[in-house]
Amino acid sequence: MGGSKNTKLVIDGKRVDGRTTDELRDIKIVTGVIPAADGSAFIEWGGNKILCGVYGPRECIPRHGASPYKATLKCRYMMSPFSSLEEHGRSGPSRRSTELSKVIREAFENVIILERFPNAQIEIYLDVLQADGGTRTASLTAATVALANAGIPMRDMVAAVAVGKADDILVLDLDKGEDNLGQSDMPVAMSMRDKKLLLIQMDGLLTREEIAEMLDMVENGCNKINTIQVDALRKHYENNGEDNFTW
Amino acid sequence: MGEETTDKIMAYVRRDVMNESLNKGIRFDGRKLEDYREISVQQSVIRTAEGSAVGKIGETQVLVAAKFDVVKPFPDRPKQGVMISNAELLPTASPTFEPGPPNENSIEVARVVDRAIRSAECVDLDSFYIEEDKVLGLFLDVYVLNHAGNYTDAATLAATAALLDAKMPKIEDGKIVRGEYEGNLNLTALPVTTTMIKVGNHWLIDPSQDEECVAETELTIGTTEKHVCAMQKGRGAVGKEELLDCIDMAFKKGNDLRTILKR
Amino acid sequence: MEKKIVLPGEKIGDGMIRAHNTYFDGTATYAAVIGTINEEGRYIALETPYKPLVGDTVVGVVTDARHAGYSVDIRLPEEGFVPTRTIKVSLQLGDFVLCKIKSVNEVGDIDLGEVRRLPPGKIVSFPASKIPRLIGRKSSMIELLKEHSGGDIIVGNNVYVWISKGSDIPLMIETINMIKKKAHKSGLTDEISKFLQKVK
Repeated sequence: MGGSKNTKLVIDGKRVDGRTTDELRDIKIVTGVIPAADGSAFIEWGGNKILCGVYGPRECIPRHGASPYKATLKCRYMMSPFSSLEEHGRSGPSRRSTELSKVIREAFENVIILERFPNAQIEIYLDVLQADGGTRTASLTAATVALANAGIPMRDMVAAVAVGKADDILVLDLDKGEDNLGQSDMPVAMSMRDKKLLLIQMDGLLTREEIAEMLDMVENGCNKINTIQVDALRKHYENNGEDNFTW
Repeated sequence: MGEETTDKIMAYVRRDVMNESLNKGIRFDGRKLEDYREISVQQSVIRTAEGSAVGKIGETQVLVAAKFDVVKPFPDRPKQGVMISNAELLPTASPTFEPGPPNENSIEVARVVDRAIRSAECVDLDSFYIEEDKVLGLFLDVYVLNHAGNYTDAATLAATAALLDAKMPKIEDGKIVRGEYEGNLNLTALPVTTTMIKVGNHWLIDPSQDEECVAETELTIGTTEKHVCAMQKGRGAVGKEELLDCIDMAFKKGNDLRTILKR
Repeated sequence: MEKKIVLPGEKIGDGMIRAHNTYFDGTATYAAVIGTINEEGRYIALETPYKPLVGDTVVGVVTDARHAGYSVDIRLPEEGFVPTRTIKVSLQLGDFVLCKIKSVNEVGDIDLGEVRRLPPGKIVSFPASKIPRLIGRKSSMIELLKEHSGGDIIVGNNVYVWISKGSDIPLMIETINMIKKKAHKSGLTDEISKFLQKVK
């Protein structure tokens, strides 16, 4: 955020990678890629590569964390030390990954029907193998598919995308450069049936009007993303799991 | 009866039941006792690392990323580069992997893979010298993606494949210019590991998860074409003659794995 | 076989429709889990964790023996419990058992009864949603497997399948995996029958 006055991110309605202001990057999703997991999905979104594994409902460990009313939802978002083109990072959680784990979990607490599995736990594991801006929204998008693959009951599907401002222009789906050098970044997750906002964060300075316009851009983007999620699931179940998947 | 009980997590079979099948020379998944499952390698999977590969043995899949950074050399070896290996057993990969800091299993596999590669002297750490107080550090990250038994062999296979895949980063003014490369990392040997377990009187190569649970003895042997470069015994005990037989088998199987890497 | 795939959140019908793995929001009923619409127009889940019902027969493994009773793993978040006073035989850690679900309460505690100890063998797991295919119409598929096993096979309503010691375990595992992979195909019982004949 903030950034160099010399770098132009949007010239004549075209961004550095050639996209228009409301265009999404290429997104590919494959589900059922990890046989050991109850559900799984692998997403490639622009330069992002994220693996999601879902377990549950299964025994809640530790026992004292269990609730007699509903399943306990756990979510762990982590970035691998090799996910950035820059330095090799450290292994393990960071303050950022802890925060993202929380907000992603809170998004899904709205749609997973936790009351059906008292005393159990459901776990979502997100590992970013390659990062290129928008990892939390790509993670959420993949996790929805993995949860469906696991047969975890949900009220709705969730799609997510970040929208922001660069060179005073509103842009959809910020890549790493736009995220780092742009003026504002607003990741949003949306439930597809009733269009409720399940994750919303932002930084930078935005007017109310800008936000209203950005939310429309998000809704359009999420509709397209949801189509990709649905196609990934349909393809997997129609082929009965015989996708010829390579990483 | 007490010793024969199953591992709660996966096997759900007793050794005597498995032995019945092994006595006929066939394992539960239809393999012969000395057969590996299907093996494949896919390279250049992670663009943010200079080298990477996914090693697949049966359903077990391990990703290894090889990434360079400029680091300070060790004080006792000021002109030599540094290699650091780490492993993560991703909770996604198995219902038995819990989130948290590295445990004895992930630490062990990282150290065994590291030892096999380091002993094989296949990476020229002297060529990693940049200038005073600056050398290249090679970071090997082993990520187990799906556990269906024997992630050790898949890890070493993926690590060697990642090193084969690796390009040397371009260095300018003592710094790495990310995204630009200067030639390949030259590997002078192809270390691999062969893991075997003993159930009853039978040694099995490349154990599946079931088999790992009822194993009485576990042994991993790292080889290059002509040498043993690593050995690691897990559970159990092994006789001297037995070990030599295992080493012969490790060379035989190791060469099969090397053939796959050379492709 | 053209399948209409139904996704979570997709509407199944107006009003309250009684079907597993759906939810009712006061006005209409929606799918909660990925599923399909069968020939009779009914929604059936494709992926589902096993939902224990009273009267179900389940295969399990004894994981704990305490004074009050035994804990049995039947592949659910909660382990099943067998009170000591309800059975005559004494069980040991690792024993395989066949039992009936006697009760399930609101917090998921499961009591098991009519416990029969199973002889040694191998337990494999099989996806809950595909169990009907493993049993087959009028038990045709499971009888076919038993015939060719050389031993015995018991399919629990839960996801565990027990194969007896003395059976051709590798062949049974191979056949079960085939059924798992091809569960969506029609004519599967014939295909498996042909395969087992060839192997003889």
